Amino acid sequence: MPLSSLRKFPTNRFFSAYWADRSIALSCRAFPSNGSVEEEGQPNQKGALAGIPVSSRPFRFRHRFASWRSGCYRSWQPEVIETGMAMPAVGSVKLALQVAEVLESIVSKCMGPEGQQVLCTKSTGEVLLSRDGGRLLEALHLEHPIARLLVACVSSHLKKTGDGAKTFIIFLCHLLRGLDATTDKETDALVSENTQAHGRHWKNCSRWKFVSQALVKFQTQILDYFMDQCLSRHFLSIFSSSTKEKTLCRNSIELLLEAYFCGRVGKNNHKFISQLMCDYLYKCMAYTSGIEEVFELVDDYFVELNIGVPGLPVSDSKIITGLVLHRDFSVYCPADGDVRIVIVTETIQPSFSESGSEFVLNSEAQFQESQFWIMERTKAIMKYLQNQNIKLLLSSVKQPDLVTYYADLNGISVVECLSAEEVSLIQRIGGLSPFVLPPICSQHEISNTALVNFCKPLIIKSKRYVHLGLISTCLFIPHCIVLCGPVHGLVEQHEDALRSAFKMLRQLFKDLDLSYMTQTINQNSTPSPLICNSRESELFEETGNDSIQRLCRDPVVKNKDELAIVETHLIYSNLEIPSVELETHIPCSTPQLIPVDTYQTDDTLRGLSQNKTRMHNREPLIPSKSTDRPTTQNTKIEMSYENVQVKKSVGMRNTLPLSCKSLESCNSSSISAGCVLPVGGNFEILLHYYLINYAKKCQQSEETAVSMIIANALLGIPKILYKYKKGKYSFPQIYVRSLYALQTNQPMVCTQTGLESVAGKYQLLTSVLQCLAKILTIDLVINIKRQPQKVYEQDSEDEL
Amino acid sequence: MSRFEAKKPSVCESEPLTCERVRATLGVLKGIVTSCYGPSGRLKQLHNGVGGHVRTTSQSSALLHSLAVTHPVLKLLTASMQNHVSCVSDCGLFMAILCCNLVENVQGVDVTPTTVIELNKLLVNLCTSYLKSEACGCRIPVDFSSTQILLGLVRSILISKPACMLTRMEVDHMSTLVLRAFLLTIPEKAKEHIILGRSIIVPLKGQRVMDSTVLPGMLIEMPEAQLMRVLPVKKSSALKVALFCVSLSGDFSDTGEGTLAVSDGVCLESAVLDQLLNLGRQLVRDHVDIVMCQKVIHPSLKQFLSTHHVVAIDRVGAARMEPLSKMTGTQPIGSLGSISPRSYGSVKDLCYAEFGSKHFFHLLPDEVTVSSLLLCNRNDTAWDELKLTCQKALHVLQLTIKEPFVLLGGGCTETHLAAYIRHKILNEPGSVLIRDDGRTQTELQLIAEAFCRALESLAGCLEHDGGDILTDMKYGHCWSVQSDSPPVANWPDLLSRCGCGLHSSQEQLSWSFLRNTHDPFVLQSCLPPEAGNSANNLTLDCYTAKLNGLQLAVETANLILDLAYVIEDKN
Repeated sequence: MPLSSLRKFPTNRFFSAYWADRSIALSCRAFPSNGSVEEEGQPNQKGALAGIPVSSRPFRFRHRFASWRSGCYRSWQPEVIETGMAMPAVGSVKLALQVAEVLESIVSKCMGPEGQQVLCTKSTGEVLLSRDGGRLLEALHLEHPIARLLVACVSSHLKKTGDGAKTFIIFLCHLLRGLDATTDKETDALVSENTQAHGRHWKNCSRWKFVSQALVKFQTQILDYFMDQCLSRHFLSIFSSSTKEKTLCRNSIELLLEAYFCGRVGKNNHKFISQLMCDYLYKCMAYTSGIEEVFELVDDYFVELNIGVPGLPVSDSKIITGLVLHRDFSVYCPADGDVRIVIVTETIQPSFSESGSEFVLNSEAQFQESQFWIMERTKAIMKYLQNQNIKLLLSSVKQPDLVTYYADLNGISVVECLSAEEVSLIQRIGGLSPFVLPPICSQHEISNTALVNFCKPLIIKSKRYVHLGLISTCLFIPHCIVLCGPVHGLVEQHEDALRSAFKMLRQLFKDLDLSYMTQTINQNSTPSPLICNSRESELFEETGNDSIQRLCRDPVVKNKDELAIVETHLIYSNLEIPSVELETHIPCSTPQLIPVDTYQTDDTLRGLSQNKTRMHNREPLIPSKSTDRPTTQNTKIEMSYENVQVKKSVGMRNTLPLSCKSLESCNSSSISAGCVLPVGGNFEILLHYYLINYAKKCQQSEETAVSMIIANALLGIPKILYKYKKGKYSFPQIYVRSLYALQTNQPMVCTQTGLESVAGKYQLLTSVLQCLAKILTIDLVINIKRQPQKVYEQDSEDEL
Repeated sequence: MSRFEAKKPSVCESEPLTCERVRATLGVLKGIVTSCYGPSGRLKQLHNGVGGHVRTTSQSSALLHSLAVTHPVLKLLTASMQNHVSCVSDCGLFMAILCCNLVENVQGVDVTPTTVIELNKLLVNLCTSYLKSEACGCRIPVDFSSTQILLGLVRSILISKPACMLTRMEVDHMSTLVLRAFLLTIPEKAKEHIILGRSIIVPLKGQRVMDSTVLPGMLIEMPEAQLMRVLPVKKSSALKVALFCVSLSGDFSDTGEGTLAVSDGVCLESAVLDQLLNLGRQLVRDHVDIVMCQKVIHPSLKQFLSTHHVVAIDRVGAARMEPLSKMTGTQPIGSLGSISPRSYGSVKDLCYAEFGSKHFFHLLPDEVTVSSLLLCNRNDTAWDELKLTCQKALHVLQLTIKEPFVLLGGGCTETHLAAYIRHKILNEPGSVLIRDDGRTQTELQLIAEAFCRALESLAGCLEHDGGDILTDMKYGHCWSVQSDSPPVANWPDLLSRCGCGLHSSQEQLSWSFLRNTHDPFVLQSCLPPEAGNSANNLTLDCYTAKLNGLQLAVETANLILDLAYVIEDKN
């Protein structure tokens, strides 16, 4: 948005004073510091800052947020409508785009391996370094209603996945830009017909409503189909084999983490931190399986499992075996060998009166007797503990001096004031429950004990901690991370990054169910009006142009030798053009490989295929007769490979197994656990490719438009990632090569090493689309006085 | 919940380093820290406009503690420096100046921040691996059989703090005291893990510095009147000690969560007092000689004890409990009932001491791991500074025990390192640039030059009186010369010894001004064998602290250079 137009908004003296002090001051530098201005990929910067000379000093302007208020947003307050102010010609998309563009300009600088850091100050004056999109958005304390809506959407997405805040903003911004561009064309045509601003606004609103519905439809129905049918064959797996047992491949975990930390921590530290995390993971795992439990535990108790030490270089960070409690011993009695511990949650010394009761003292003697009894009782309990060979007492409350004294006498170490989380962590690892004081100190064995290998004080930077070698009864072997850094802000950044990395891994190891069902199910139910059967199979024909599926449709080819041949093809070239021998069984495999544009006209060839009855089955309500539809077959064939390790060379230094669908998931589709793709916009380019193809085939114009907008917006992400790359590695080059590779069924080009989770990407996409749909349905933001800061969403149709 | 007061939006500033204002404020901070650096550094007076305590200092910890910086970038820098000081005590100014220099020096260089950051990291790794290697020419291993090096280290620290206002003789006296206080904390019987004791600094203001002294054991201050009343009995054998952590004042605090109803006519006070006196009787029966209590002892109990010739010392305080219990071998007693005989400990002697106007009990333990450093200085300000310096020196000595090395001081380590890097970059750039990750040699040379300049200007910061700094072309040490020296000088006559004092000017050396560019030269890296012996007059720096400072300075500079935005919360 040109600056000049920002300034042109009418300033309303009634509100200007109100907004002036709340506006966000953003100062933006005109161009990247190295002076290289990108030719593409930054339309926002160019558009927003056109007219500022390159050499100009950082130009500080209280711009856009302020302007929205003076312009669109303010005039939408009810009072303003009453005063008869002119309606703005733009709907909420323009507004949202402006918000998103500002946010985009901030997050895009922190994005990807070349991203920089942002220094935030808290209201307490503490400094915090961050590259985490979620944190940045929070730190901005945005006031604009749409901005706040965005931030809320991002944070709810982050809560789920722990990743993708920056991509969220960038993708959303590109989507809005795409939507905005389409409206610009249409409104130009509209202007002459309908000059009445008010009417046009409502018209716009209802139009956005349809777009929003189309988006939701896309997200819930079409996207899942793509994930399951088109993209899934490109997925790689993080597990070292595709057997039932999920065993982690260390190499791929390293690649995954390195790519993850690349966008999270400073350039100098990401390798170190990802190595640290990888070591930590492997040290904590009892077996290579059962990782989910480890992730869950670390994610839940992350605060207790790490110690931040500001003032030392980052490279001094290390992993410590055992559990470190953020407390000092109240009593420390050195003990050799295995040590038995108990946890108490109440004071051991009995008190005069329990809560809710009254203790009546009738004489001095009685008082002295009671005190004596209390003392004897405490003594007896501690003696009992000693007899049970307890050497360490962990308490969640402060114990009286008497208890610590007798503990000391009986050689029992005491740690007091443990937090509830620490207690529950110890309980979970050690498999013990709090010790309940026995009414009589008998010789009964205490059942609720755990063993520790050692228990000693640990001194880090002259602060003392309790170091326990807790023997684990679960799959998690306790280890702690000591994180060092020059300032607390950096330590915190690393903590955050590690924590969300665990969250990401936790997500990755879960199967993600897609709402898309394969055909066998769909036939029984009523197919949705949007995706009629015919189009789906058609789409499948076009996109699923690999020979294997074809081959397997043919009932003749069932013997294992044939399958083995296909397998070898897979190994060498992923999706190679089938050999002649196979082609004989498949009369129509050739047309599938010709470019999409010509394919559409090729009706005769399509007719040749064995399942031509279904091809013509265009009426959505007629269930197809055949039960072995190609799509189902397709998945089944993929499944039949599951005991054969299918390898694919991805042009990286290691080979990863293709992810194979398990037999169970044949009907309800899902992104299986551990699915990854190489980083560097692979996911986006793939989806872009399939969406573009789909859009070309699509009948309904609305769907085409939505698919096209999404497809183009997806490219925005790799554009930013390759912003600083030149020559062969610049975005246009990569893009053209990838597309060519996809068309000719060659493996995708891969310039960066590293992997990313598919499920994360998928969830991001759905979150963005949901957020956009939400934004589009809002037509009015009403500022209310009494209950502050609440935004009502209104349905435009209700208004009409 | 919805908040009722709207939060103010934050202010977002992009590319902070390109902003003139930020550069200017960084410059101001750099000016402050550089002017404080070294023995001839200028002092800063910190005072509050509305009155109160005035403090004169040149120490980073004191300075930055009271300095309120506004810009987030400066906050980052000062926070980093404070963390460094809290970890290793020494070299705070070193770290801050180096960080400022690094940020400043790359401003004019036409290399992207990403490259600068990566190369800086390579260079600092080069430095640390050199400093950690055996071949290092500026590192001296500590010889624990003599006190020369440790004494030199303490003296260097004391000299570099001009705000202590010490004369040469006082410096010598104080360094001996500090070293002795430290040595007393080392247990005599060496076990697997040596657990150091503690030296406690006892304030004694208004006396001459030369009156400062070190005593083994612990001093507990007592009002004179009380002291007179409880004259200890002289005993030939060791004295039996009981140490209470529970209050002996007869208070009755913990009654549980319910209510406590006391019937009419029941006097709890007397009941409690009875209990206390019973306790007193038990102590007397057990032949305890000294009773100490963290909290308060009831006057009646005190009276009772003193009539039975037991010394009662109360209000010891939580801080002294741990050294006391370690020193005497007691278990802090938390019970008013029966006391296990195992809880008692012992001291060798208890005497009465008087220093200045203050009176003390002096507890002399069997095995000394606690020492008391009685610190005197003329006025409050100088005393504060001296106390801080002594604490720093004690901590530095502890660090030196852990890593038994010292570095050459007086700017020699810095110039030596710079010469090492220059030589390495010119002759073996391949060993620095390990992988081909798009960093060219030209970029490496540019950044290495900036890095070396940053190190060298640190050495230059030691000179505050307009003098010039030279470096020799053999050892890469740092030499300073008077400002009014003739232009064509006979250097060996004008210069006497290098910054650290290891080399003399009569060694057939050639010199060059530090500010001039000079060709890299091969360093004579091995130290002369007599380095350890002649350490008497050497200026030395703490190895751990300097290494940490170097690493932190580069890391902090990298953080600052990597900033794309600054988001400032205005609430």
